[in-house]
Amino acid sequence: MSTAPLLELEDISKYYGNIIALTDVTTSVNAGEVTCVLGDNGAGKSTFIKILSGVHEPTDGTVRMNGEEVTFGHPRESLDAGIATVYQDLAMVPLMSVWRNFWMGAEPTKGRWPIQWIDTKKAKAIAKDELFKMGIDIRDTEQPVGTLSGGERQSVAIARAAYFGAKVLILDEPTSALGVKQSGVVLKYIKAARDRGLGVIFITHNPHHAYPVGDRFMILNRGRSMGNFAKEELTRDELVRMMAGGAELDQLTHEIENG
Amino acid sequence: MTDAAASQPAASVAATAVDDDERLAYRSIFQRLFIRPEVGAIIGAIGVWTFFWAVSGTFGTAGASFGWIDIVASSLGIMAVAVAALMIGGEFDLSSGAMTGAMAMLTIFIVKETGDLGGLGLPMAVSLPLGLAVALGIGWLNGTMVERTGQPSFIITLATFFAIKGLKLGLANRFVGQIQVASTEEASDYDFWRPIFAGVWERNTHQFEARDFFYTSLPLLGFTLIVLAIAELWFTRRETPNPAGLIQFLIGMAVGVAGVGAMHLTDGTGGNALSGAIIAVGVIVALHGYCTWRFEPTTNRGSVQIDTSMRNRILGGFALLIAGAVVAFSIDSSSETEIIFPFTTQGVRAILYVMLAVAGLALLAVASQKALSINPATKFVATTASALGVVVVAVTIFLDSEAAKFRSSLFTILLTIALLIFSWALVVSRFDERRYVDRDADRAGYRLLLTGFLSVLVGIAFRLLFITEAELLAGVPPTKTSVRVLWFVAFTSVMVWVLARTKFGGWVFAVGGNKEAARQVGVPAARTKTQLFMIVSAAAWLVGVLLAFRINSIQANTGDGEEFEFIIAAVVGGCLLTGGYGSAMGAAIGAMIMAMPLIGISAARWNTDWRFLFLGVILLVAVVSNRYIRLKAEALRR
Repeated sequence: MSTAPLLELEDISKYYGNIIALTDVTTSVNAGEVTCVLGDNGAGKSTFIKILSGVHEPTDGTVRMNGEEVTFGHPRESLDAGIATVYQDLAMVPLMSVWRNFWMGAEPTKGRWPIQWIDTKKAKAIAKDELFKMGIDIRDTEQPVGTLSGGERQSVAIARAAYFGAKVLILDEPTSALGVKQSGVVLKYIKAARDRGLGVIFITHNPHHAYPVGDRFMILNRGRSMGNFAKEELTRDELVRMMAGGAELDQLTHEIENG
Repeated sequence: MTDAAASQPAASVAATAVDDDERLAYRSIFQRLFIRPEVGAIIGAIGVWTFFWAVSGTFGTAGASFGWIDIVASSLGIMAVAVAALMIGGEFDLSSGAMTGAMAMLTIFIVKETGDLGGLGLPMAVSLPLGLAVALGIGWLNGTMVERTGQPSFIITLATFFAIKGLKLGLANRFVGQIQVASTEEASDYDFWRPIFAGVWERNTHQFEARDFFYTSLPLLGFTLIVLAIAELWFTRRETPNPAGLIQFLIGMAVGVAGVGAMHLTDGTGGNALSGAIIAVGVIVALHGYCTWRFEPTTNRGSVQIDTSMRNRILGGFALLIAGAVVAFSIDSSSETEIIFPFTTQGVRAILYVMLAVAGLALLAVASQKALSINPATKFVATTASALGVVVVAVTIFLDSEAAKFRSSLFTILLTIALLIFSWALVVSRFDERRYVDRDADRAGYRLLLTGFLSVLVGIAFRLLFITEAELLAGVPPTKTSVRVLWFVAFTSVMVWVLARTKFGGWVFAVGGNKEAARQVGVPAARTKTQLFMIVSAAAWLVGVLLAFRINSIQANTGDGEEFEFIIAAVVGGCLLTGGYGSAMGAAIGAMIMAMPLIGISAARWNTDWRFLFLGVILLVAVVSNRYIRLKAEALRR
């Protein structure tokens, strides 16, 4: 690959006082690729997201976008740089309609100040169109988001991020609260986002979800990177073993210590 | 964050995610109408109105209606709409009641002539904007304090409530020497502002002989449009219209109009019965014609299949109706009503009859609903049985009731309902129900619906605003209404539009529904909420000004405690206490419901203290039924 990756992290560390949350983490994501960040609870995934989304600044290390070093002091700066985070709670209002949720905060308007109103026709048409591009065919964008399935809600959030100019999409555990079938649906949307040229960072603790869609894998354990692999360097079994091994080892140590 | 994710019960999410691959089923017109928050309120309004109309002598007359609408317009309605917007945004304002009184006092105080005891002696032109500025300032303060401290608005505005109350009493005593302030008339430009805020319309000086023509024709036109609107929303459109149907429709309409004219000209039972029959034929022909003209006929009607359970339901329904009639005939009737009415002989009779009749009609309705899933022909038979059931009720009431208004009005209304059910049964069994979204048909339907409602309202307005010579000769007592109604209508319309169509309106729902989510995607949550508080206090200012012009002397405790009535009106109108759901129109209707007992109780000549009992019961019923309707709607949407 000749050009610099879309987003690159080098030796990122984060300390909260004397607590080491993340040490020397290195990974990257290219446009049109999915980088999976795997880790069990407390592995440092949340800290990782907070650094990229501009909530926290890293204590150490560099973040580069398209080869240029950047710092995010505020969530707004990260968003402006094109990094969109889709959180677990999805930032949606369940009682509001799909199109209103899609446009929330950035509704297109008609008329001049002070008499301005939402261009509902345009808003609904674009929302429907963008969702269709993600492979979800919503018959009626008027239906409340609360009535959508978990997978569909994820896709609305992803489509929204993509439409509003995101280049890098961070998905925080999008499959953790979903059933098997629903998770499959979400993985399909991740692929759709990737095929539209977005760089996707897929945070998960489930190697079975990560392996089919990932191009690159970074495993976190207790704040440390256990390796940063391209897909060709790793089989599914190895990935599973790395994830499971960490947890088993922890438990074993625990049992031995408590005798 | 990850811990929370792991412990989050997956089941709850999975439960909402059953049919991920299924396209959503088409929602029928009733399901679509029922998910609107105002629908429950409209049904409640009709129920409460009918109750007071039935038990009192004068409820529903022009005088009582003006008294009722003036209560709504002068304070409750405007405040309920503003408070509803704030509640949708997820906050409360307990200072809103005290604010109305405070703003009235302030308005007067500024224009009062200077003297030993206070008053600034400035013109209204200064007093009005100054008062508004103060109101907006208090609203801004409420909102900012709620946002900055992160405390519940319930507590913050409780504090402002006491502060305003104290200021009102203290300042009134300090500057005026008593706890009431009077009056607006001292303003130098009083004559200019009076018509704007307190103009009145004397009904008895506005004679208009053609009134009854409009009063009859506009509502009839309105109801016709409403029926056609439901047809547009209900049926599948034809590719090309069938002109034969149009001709039939026009003939039916002509017959119907002729029938109405005949009923107007004739007197006596025979003439009325004949013209009633003509109207019935006209309605059936016209509706059938309209459907033939525009909608796709059903190809397979099937043959009538009545199984045992359906037969039992139909027969049981009629048995209950006849039992009701027997009860009604066997117990002596008298038309005296009082509040302990349920415990009088007549009350027992009325309650027994209503229960039996409702149970009977419900059984018939269930039969008709079940028939829907069999085939159109069966549906027709079962629905016709329902129409017959309504006729039985109408005839029972006609034969047995002593009250003239039951014998005439209620009888006519019930027969009309029966006619509509029957003609609807006819077209439903002969034309295809639409099971897909047709934007054009939907838009046409909603426009017809709106025009129909407006037409009915304008027709009623004619009746209320004008008087005929005959009424004058009969000595109808003078009644008047005021420009406050226009303020109420204007304010409500603007808020409905703002909430439904503007960016700000969308943000109100967003911050009320999920504040964190709204903030994450860039909705200025704090600003939106502060603006909502300012809208409420601006509304309180408007109400205060209307109040200052209405009653010249304002007590310092005016408005205190009314904030709960505003909140109740909003809840009755379908707003969720937790925010994120509700409507301004619903709140306006809620305020109308809340004002009904006030007028209704005095119209029934009961002690007005009973009013609070009614408010409590209405609130309870509204909350429970709103919840039921919403759950039902949510279930249907899935």
